[in-house]
Amino acid sequence: MTNFKQIEENLKKEAKKLLEAGSVAVVLAYTKGADEKHPQPFAAKKADDVANIIFNEYCNHNLARYIVRYAPGTKIAVAVKAADSRAVVVLIQEEKIKRENLILLGIPVSGMKNQKTGEIIDEKTTGGLTNPVVYDVLLGEEIHTGKPVSPYTVLEQYEKMDKDARFAFWKAQFDKCIRCYACRKACPMCYCDPCFIDQTKPRWADKSPQSHGNLMYHLTRFQHLAGRCIDCGECTRACPVDIPLYLFHKKVAKDCEEMFKQAAGMKIEDKLVMVDFRVEDSDKILE
Amino acid sequence: MAASVLKKVVIEKINEVAAVLMQKGTLIAPVKEEAGANFREIKDPKDIYLDYYNSILSPKMVFFPQMEDFVKYQLAKPKADAKIVEMNLKPAFLFGVRPCDVKSFEILDKHFYASGIIDTYWKARRDNTTIIGYAFDLDKPVDSADFYNTLGIGAADPEGSDIFIVKKDKELLLKGITKKGEALLGELSMLEKADAKDEKYFTDYVKKGKEKKTRFMKVDDKAVAKKYEDIFENNEYWTKMSDACLSCGVCTFVCPTCYCFDICDETIFGKGTRRRIWDACMFTDFTLETSGHNPRTKVSQRLRQKVCHKYSFSVRKYDVISCVGCGRCTRSCPVNIDIYSMVEEATKL
Repeated sequence: MTNFKQIEENLKKEAKKLLEAGSVAVVLAYTKGADEKHPQPFAAKKADDVANIIFNEYCNHNLARYIVRYAPGTKIAVAVKAADSRAVVVLIQEEKIKRENLILLGIPVSGMKNQKTGEIIDEKTTGGLTNPVVYDVLLGEEIHTGKPVSPYTVLEQYEKMDKDARFAFWKAQFDKCIRCYACRKACPMCYCDPCFIDQTKPRWADKSPQSHGNLMYHLTRFQHLAGRCIDCGECTRACPVDIPLYLFHKKVAKDCEEMFKQAAGMKIEDKLVMVDFRVEDSDKILE
Repeated sequence: MAASVLKKVVIEKINEVAAVLMQKGTLIAPVKEEAGANFREIKDPKDIYLDYYNSILSPKMVFFPQMEDFVKYQLAKPKADAKIVEMNLKPAFLFGVRPCDVKSFEILDKHFYASGIIDTYWKARRDNTTIIGYAFDLDKPVDSADFYNTLGIGAADPEGSDIFIVKKDKELLLKGITKKGEALLGELSMLEKADAKDEKYFTDYVKKGKEKKTRFMKVDDKAVAKKYEDIFENNEYWTKMSDACLSCGVCTFVCPTCYCFDICDETIFGKGTRRRIWDACMFTDFTLETSGHNPRTKVSQRLRQKVCHKYSFSVRKYDVISCVGCGRCTRSCPVNIDIYSMVEEATKL
């Protein structure tokens, strides 16, 4: 693959061109946080900002998360890895953003690392997808070396558990939750304002961090992401108490894919599985 | 000041100390969990995890738990049936707190107690608890997020603890700092008396702790408070700082000096509890008014509130920066926002 430094250079060059020409109001990319190992999502708004852009193996954050923050009609360029591009596709399908207002700077990349553990997370993110599914400019060579992995293999050990054991597993996980809501805030698909959990009339679940309220919050969120979750793993990475939320999302995604023969955010022309109806759709969900 | 007692114990024997403390009351100490260490009530002395750097959640949760029940009531029953939830406190021993976190208790005291408006729950727990501080291991590297030096705190400052512990090879040296601490040391019969060499080791360790360097910048309380008053409406700065901010509550929940809470009535199947739970100025609904008006709709406004509260409002109100440089917010932030860099950038404006 094209090395990180080269991608960074290409990203800077494209960002500079776009900002100087005034074709976009903002370029969503990365900059260094406390240091380079701790990068931060970055909104470059002037050509001068471009010098601060970086790209390295720790730039995991899903930048599609920030698109909905800008007023409708704003021209935005986004640096998209495979995961970010799939999130962008869902946002376009859901009409949160128009394709013509976006310039997608595609980044084909493998070897991304978890900042806390240093572990390579490729296979844990979008099932090892390395190339963005949609882009306008590609900032490196497409990668075709990796063998495709099923994003659902990891589920096998949990699917083997019986119902009670599975419930006990998840209850123990949700009991750790401190309700900081980092998961929903890091999620590119969680843009509801207000989120159901913040509503007061009616209040759908307790605010206090107890089993029943935590269950209500997480289970509802999982459902709301059915057929929409693009498996970027941001919720899990954001969680300060290490709840493996991605497992549940994967399970829901797997069910959706089996029932409706479609993975989320792969093609702009696709219709969202929870919105679309086809006669041949599975009725398994009603059984 | 009269020379206070210094005792020692080999690390393996910490179980025995723990057993005695558990008999006397509640022992709270760091425990290893999936995501890292946290302070929890100890049920089995073997759970104590002393080889930790710092906890993920700050030990403020011992005095100011995330959820505190006040009143239990039942819907459609007379008011008189409502019952105040008693605290039923046993003496508590908070074991293994790092010096920067000990300092945070002092800062929160100003708000919950010394301000004159006494939070009885906070005070009851504070009065009831013996704080056993634990110096950072000076042989281990400092985490890159830490900046407690900036706030004038050393890696082995014993001030604020009742008993302070430093590690010496395979032993722990325990020093009584307050009368309460000394009395407790006297009651722990398994401790051995320390010799003059240990005394010197302890004193040197505290001194060496001052030289252990975290990130550092010169911060004058008054000047930084004034600076933030001046740049309060500098939208360019606040927008730049908050462009990446997700506006989640991690930073405030792990913070040892954040104290905002919400009091709410939660009812399930007719049985209700009035309780307080942690709230966070980073949440959208934190400032949402009944009318529907929200004075802080933007992320930049919410982040500004958080930073200014710590570095400006707190200085004006309590004469102290409400931050101890423990680095938790930086370590836990999903998008690596770093309050130290933010303050550094502000001082350059």
